[in-house]
Amino acid sequence: MTLNDIKPGQECRIVDVNLDGATGQRLMDMGFMPGTKIKIVRNAPLVDPIDLVLRGYHVSIRHQEAKGVEVEEL
Amino acid sequence: MKEIIVAVAGQPNSGKSTIFNMLTGARQHVANYPGVTVEKRTGKYSYKGNTVTLVDLPGTYSLTSYSQEERIARDFLLHERPAVVLDIVDAANLERNLYLTFQLGEMGIPLVIALNMMDVAEGRGLKIDTFKLSELLRATIVATVGKKGKGGKELKEAILNTYKGGHFRMGYGDACESCGACLGISREKGHFRVDYGEKLEPILRPLEKMLSEDPKISARYPARWLAIKLMENDSEAHRLVGLL
Repeated sequence: MTLNDIKPGQECRIVDVNLDGATGQRLMDMGFMPGTKIKIVRNAPLVDPIDLVLRGYHVSIRHQEAKGVEVEEL
Repeated sequence: MKEIIVAVAGQPNSGKSTIFNMLTGARQHVANYPGVTVEKRTGKYSYKGNTVTLVDLPGTYSLTSYSQEERIARDFLLHERPAVVLDIVDAANLERNLYLTFQLGEMGIPLVIALNMMDVAEGRGLKIDTFKLSELLRATIVATVGKKGKGGKELKEAILNTYKGGHFRMGYGDACESCGACLGISREKGHFRVDYGEKLEPILRPLEKMLSEDPKISARYPARWLAIKLMENDSEAHRLVGLL
């Protein structure tokens, strides 16, 4: 299951970050680490981006990037 | 009169420019880094007979060599060697912001930390033990509220004191424990160092030792920092070692 599959209002936990290069590094810099809890807040009207909360702050990412984040539902 | 070069670093939206303006007043001007489009602002202020030049670095989440802003910030710190780094930390987003603080600490330049937006953090019910944080990070910490201009004088004092090699201060407004000349605690307690644990340290330590024993490398770059970057397979770190 990836972050892309989680519905607004649901919470999940990161299992792995399967993204290479600059995008993977940036997400890790922003605290996307295995074990981190994420809450999906909402999807933008035209699908992208997704608004989520982790470590006490909001961040928006694309579905494409969310696909690279492996999670488990909570 | 000496000129003290201070780099202002921090993550995006931590309030870097607000603090920069608070310290320099209206005297800053805008300049471009050569060859790139990202702006570098410099500004000056005078404090107790010293001229302090602040260099406002681009906001970055970390100091890898993936993006241009990060490379600019990192190259400045690495090659220009400012006397002090002023790290602006969003107190309301402490955890994420400390990641950059760790990387700055690993570069071995004396740090002063502005714990900014303290009013927002307190409003969210966060209580930050600046005393403990200061001791762990081996850096002077000043609580600031940039938009209200709070903490400017204390930052100027902390920067000058850190430049002079003074003891770092255990949190905002606390008295010195080790000497009467400054407000702080002895640097002799050691430098800031992250313990990367039993899986990574056995790789890191021999690499750090090897790098520190190479006179050309150790004269230019902090060995611990370079070892960490090589372990991360950072392309720029590979290039730096390859050049020597």
